[in-house]
Amino acid sequence: MNEPVVQHLTPDEIELWAQGLLPAARDIHVAQCAECRAAAERERRLFRALAQLPRFVPEFGFVERVMARVRIPTPSGGFDRR
Amino acid sequence: MTGASDQDVVRWAQQGHEPAFRELVRRYERPVFSLLFRMVRDRTLAEDLAQETFIKLLNGIRSYNPQFKFSSWIFKIANNAAIDHLRKRDLDTLSLDGSPHATTPEEMRATALQVGARGETPLQEVEARELGSAIERAIARLRPEYRSCILLRHVEGHSYEEIAHILDLPLGTVKTYIHRARNELRGYLGDQKT
Repeated sequence: MNEPVVQHLTPDEIELWAQGLLPAARDIHVAQCAECRAAAERERRLFRALAQLPRFVPEFGFVERVMARVRIPTPSGGFDRR
Repeated sequence: MTGASDQDVVRWAQQGHEPAFRELVRRYERPVFSLLFRMVRDRTLAEDLAQETFIKLLNGIRSYNPQFKFSSWIFKIANNAAIDHLRKRDLDTLSLDGSPHATTPEEMRATALQVGARGETPLQEVEARELGSAIERAIARLRPEYRSCILLRHVEGHSYEEIAHILDLPLGTVKTYIHRARNELRGYLGDQKT
């Protein structure tokens, strides 16, 4: 008798699992398959590290430096130089 | 204006309301600057590229196509600016480990980026501190195309389809790049399959 074919998680499914979005039927496989569980845990660790990266802030006055060089459109269709 | 959608703010900007221009810069200065800083790893340069991005975007605000997300448009301009710069300066051949073209350990050392090395200026010390964590150093080792994909996906939260639009790449290519980038990151971080 043939062994049933094990359908391991695809990369897309691993991403869904790491986001908590994997359908329940496939979740059962993760619970039973140590290989997929380890791969999914590795993915989740990486996602968390990336999601925790800080946002950097440009030097003070950035908005003003940009606005000094922006042309504001006027109702007549021209531009109002700042 | 703070609670208004991007589309509404853009419409006001297109009508010539200066506060709407300022609001768009305020909303996106941090994400755009962060993407550029991680791409070029130089604060001053990242700020110059961020300024150019906003000036190009705001001076062309009338050409914005509302069919696409505003954030996709701005990241497309920012990413193009970073990639253009990296190509021109050939910085994409540099990594923390040295040039991939280096053939000897001496050449590797000579071309490696020195993060946290002695003799740094105060600004370089700030950069080394900001970009010195293990995950930041791992991201820096990715090739620029992979770096854009991973940052847009996992830091900015764009969908694969949006990233394909931003980078002008086929959807399958984006998925491949992100998959490979994650594998490389896990390798650099020492978190690979055992």
